[in-house]
Amino acid sequence: MEFYFFHLMPWPHLPAEYQGPAWIRCPNELYDPERGVAVYNRYLDELVYAEQLGFDGVCVNEHHANAYGNMPSPNLIGSILARQTQRCKIAIVGNALPLYNPPLRVAEEFAMIDVISGGRLVAGMVVGGGPEYYSNGLNPAQARERFYEAHDLIVQAWTRPGPFVFNGKYYKLRYVNPWPRPLQKPHPPIWIPGAGSLETMEFVARRRYAYMGIPYFHRRVFERNFSFFREACEKEGYRARPEQMGWLCPIYVAESDEAARREYEPHFWYFAKRLLPGIETSPPGYTSVRSAVKLITSRSDFLLFVDTWEQVVDGRYAIVGSPDTVVEQMIDMISTLGVGNILALLQVGTLPAELTRRNMELFAREVMPRLRAWEQQRRAAAA
Amino acid sequence: MSEKLQVGTETVELRRQGEGQPLLYLHGGIGDTDWLPVFDEWSREFTVFQPLHPGFGESTGGDKLDGMEDLVFHYIDLLGALGIEGSDLTVVGASFGGWIAAEIASRYPHLVRRLVLVGAAGLWLDEAPPGELFGNSPPELAALLFHDLQHPVAAMMAAVTDVAQLPEELIVQQVRAMEALARVAWNPYFHNPKLERQLRRVRASTVVVWGKEDRFFPVAYAERYAAAIPGARLEIVPDTGHLVMLERPEAVTRQLCSLPR
Repeated sequence: MEFYFFHLMPWPHLPAEYQGPAWIRCPNELYDPERGVAVYNRYLDELVYAEQLGFDGVCVNEHHANAYGNMPSPNLIGSILARQTQRCKIAIVGNALPLYNPPLRVAEEFAMIDVISGGRLVAGMVVGGGPEYYSNGLNPAQARERFYEAHDLIVQAWTRPGPFVFNGKYYKLRYVNPWPRPLQKPHPPIWIPGAGSLETMEFVARRRYAYMGIPYFHRRVFERNFSFFREACEKEGYRARPEQMGWLCPIYVAESDEAARREYEPHFWYFAKRLLPGIETSPPGYTSVRSAVKLITSRSDFLLFVDTWEQVVDGRYAIVGSPDTVVEQMIDMISTLGVGNILALLQVGTLPAELTRRNMELFAREVMPRLRAWEQQRRAAAA
Repeated sequence: MSEKLQVGTETVELRRQGEGQPLLYLHGGIGDTDWLPVFDEWSREFTVFQPLHPGFGESTGGDKLDGMEDLVFHYIDLLGALGIEGSDLTVVGASFGGWIAAEIASRYPHLVRRLVLVGAAGLWLDEAPPGELFGNSPPELAALLFHDLQHPVAAMMAAVTDVAQLPEELIVQQVRAMEALARVAWNPYFHNPKLERQLRRVRASTVVVWGKEDRFFPVAYAERYAAAIPGARLEIVPDTGHLVMLERPEAVTRQLCSLPR
């Protein structure tokens, strides 16, 4: 089991009068760069602090043109972390491959971070969320084809001696020869997030990469998806290892269940009701017709459509409570899902710095050790 | 009236009615994919063909389109499959279909005798960028495409407040059609940056018909098309939005009949 501190770097200062979506057309006048100085630097401090607290790794991700997450270039953050941390893994989850032209850039930047950090990069690769296709002009109907071709280009760039020719449908390069090459062999581990598409799972299983469940769904969605993923690995002739499965969850720990809810709830709703709206945008051709229809017709299991705290708790959309409660709920989730990478989202929305730090400390000191002990016991019992 | 035709490797759903010289109607993204009443009038003078674009209705191939050029070749193939290539051909194109029509008429000037462009996509004006079609709800689309919001089709669209409530069949159709459109029109958005300078090749007798209150392709595009196509006439229809074929089809009929035969 490994614990990662996941940061989204949200914009916490959306004015109350603004009630529109946080994505694509959220006017960037609402981004105040003067306040941004403190916001970015505070979030970077939190990521660095995570290493000090004993997290196995830190995670950042890529989103464009929105108030939900202010890292259009997660590699910039990754490179800062390569210098400001010493031991922890740096999981960039991930680069939205089709948005890089050519995607060879991903191979190059990831290689730089891997070398500078001494081989600590986790290379996440994503298709890029639906909204990104509005913001970046790329054709959503080409998203998945481009993603797979870009992935092939990047892995070849890391593993084939250059220069070589890459003649793809979308990317045609006559001298693929990136300097530097990554430190880790054969290349940095690759994580790929998915929201349930079998195609993605089969791809991850076949390549023996790690699958990350895209968050903000009811627990039953994760249960189903990880179960399908394990099946996909079985079909490939092997048993999925826990470290091939990552689960991202908002978590808040406080002295008591009551204090936790009281302190956390307003910030969680800012996240769910102000920052999520727009995330669900699925442009034409972005998914298969079947998936698109499913997305339209079955919405209830997504956090965007949740309105009460009871639903949040029952569906495990967030795990909130005293250390005992959090440990208990996490043991339940981890044993049900079989995941080995716990991606803890300990800051959400407007959750301020003091509460974030305290949350991180309580999680690291009161929850993580007990979960590690539980895992040890389980292994010993199985042996 | 409805038939299915093999065109290359794909199937085309096509309606055909009437006698006389062929008229190819190229529909837009939304609103004119049914057999319109005005086609019954036209089929007194022409054999009216209304093929559905790849990805629309039962026409296949919408998920294979890769740019406007594929669609142009597809329609040249269709003309061949119908046996009307080289005939006295009239092409009427509306909206997205108007863009296709303009491309065919400029790339294959000898194939098109008469051209009617109705609220046609295909050009880009910085000062009047086209409205947003993708990602909008049916009520938003009604506001984009209609001037007369009491029009029965506009009212029907405006009443769909939750797409999830529509019959699944309809949702599937919409999803397929939007994907086909996106494959051609996502970026450059509903236009071909090179089209304007190719329009001088059009030899067809041309009339451009536009709704004055078109919010999808503002009326400035009508003027641009008319200026770029040699000898083109222009009719701007007052109190009319983007879907002229639904709101004021008689204006299109009048202009169609005025073209030299």
